[in-house]
Amino acid sequence: MEPHIRSAFDRDLEGVQALVMKMGGLVEHALLQAAQALETRDEALAAEVRAGDRAIDELEDLIHTECARIIALRSPTATDLRTVLTVMRIVGSLERSGDYAKNLAKRSLVLSQMRPVNGSAGSISRMARSVVGLLKDALDAYVTRDAKLADDVRRRDAEVDQMYNSVFREFLTHMMEDPRNITPCMHLHFIAKNIERVGDHATGIAEQVIYLVTGIYPDDDRPKGDVTSLTDSATSTI
Amino acid sequence: MSDQKNKITARGVQVHYGTTHALKDVDVDILDHTVTAFIGPSGCGKSTFLRCLNRMNDTVASARIEGEILLDGENIYDRSVDPVQLRAKVGMVFQKPNPFPKSIYENVSYGPKIHGLSSSKAELDEIVESCLRKAALWNEVKDRLDSPGTGLSGGQQQRLCIARAIATSPEVLLMDEPCSALDPIATAQVEELIDELRNQFSVVIVTHSMQQAARVSQRTAFFHLGSLVEYGETGQIFTSPKDPRTESYISGRIG
Repeated sequence: MEPHIRSAFDRDLEGVQALVMKMGGLVEHALLQAAQALETRDEALAAEVRAGDRAIDELEDLIHTECARIIALRSPTATDLRTVLTVMRIVGSLERSGDYAKNLAKRSLVLSQMRPVNGSAGSISRMARSVVGLLKDALDAYVTRDAKLADDVRRRDAEVDQMYNSVFREFLTHMMEDPRNITPCMHLHFIAKNIERVGDHATGIAEQVIYLVTGIYPDDDRPKGDVTSLTDSATSTI
Repeated sequence: MSDQKNKITARGVQVHYGTTHALKDVDVDILDHTVTAFIGPSGCGKSTFLRCLNRMNDTVASARIEGEILLDGENIYDRSVDPVQLRAKVGMVFQKPNPFPKSIYENVSYGPKIHGLSSSKAELDEIVESCLRKAALWNEVKDRLDSPGTGLSGGQQQRLCIARAIATSPEVLLMDEPCSALDPIATAQVEELIDELRNQFSVVIVTHSMQQAARVSQRTAFFHLGSLVEYGETGQIFTSPKDPRTESYISGRIG
């Protein structure tokens, strides 16, 4: 798109989007670090992730202030308006995702005091890497205004849902085998659920990209993953 | 939107001023009880088109108009149509307030008088009061109806012109940049008035202020280089315009 006649408007919009990318980078990093802290039982790393959430929250505040300023001073319309609206929604998703990373780090500190549950941290780590991949692609789609990549992210979220369902079953098995696994598995399950939610936020960001590019929100027909964790047979087994 | 009927239907309207092709094959439906905004850069043809709607271009010697413009299904360019009667039905408010050099009262009463819309002084008094009230001017001028209209402030003069325009009970009100000479308070008063007038007529407004178009209109038409580029619901035009030229213009880019 050609530049604005008032070039300061372009600088404002570019500036706020650069902050979103910086925030996205911090969230991706926090998720990966938290998963690693869980896997390697690294308490120092977990503490670092918890402390780092403050920077993410501060960026959210800064971006919201900046968006309010752009709306007040520049009265954005059309793509400019959609840019500001999507920035505000995307930072909301990123902030929540940052909170989930922080929660993961907090639970990993608790888990490091307990005996490890066979192979579970590895499954969580794989899931986290997969979700971070989604988040990264959603943000890349945002920067490059790539609705096709965004649509791809929406579809791939089903894979994360499936991973969640399979770790859910794995934890259930561990708990049935040995009741001493129940406490750590409950923590692990919350962690898995939270990572799965980050996947939903990545999908939400992808939907914002589609709105930004096309002006239309996508229909809610994205493929849902396995619904095992919601069925009666699963709950009755517990 | 669909329950509103067309007030004006324009088809294939072309305007030439001498050798200049000012308006190129414009089709527009103006809905009844709706504020329609025409936006576009200077020289895009929006004012030319507005002036076609009450045959103001008849007064321009070099202007040549083709196509048809129907008001309630009747072609306003038909030989049998009297332009003076047409302009009583399709009123106009201009960019600069232009009250007659007469009293406030006479400014408003002049139209109804010459069109024979009142039979008595009392009836005329009533029309003057109700029009000045509708134009949100009554309280400011009720004690000095005999003072000259030109003695009012700019914003008051423009509201006086609006009162004058609605005094003949028009069905359509055309406004060509009605607020460009007004301060923000007077602008807000005129915009509030426009919104109320919608209950009674169709309002068509030409404006250079994108924000004004967004604030007052339900439908927006974007003109560029003599063509109608995009016409649609105002919310859609300002959030997701379909044509890249509309986008460039409303978002302040080089188009």
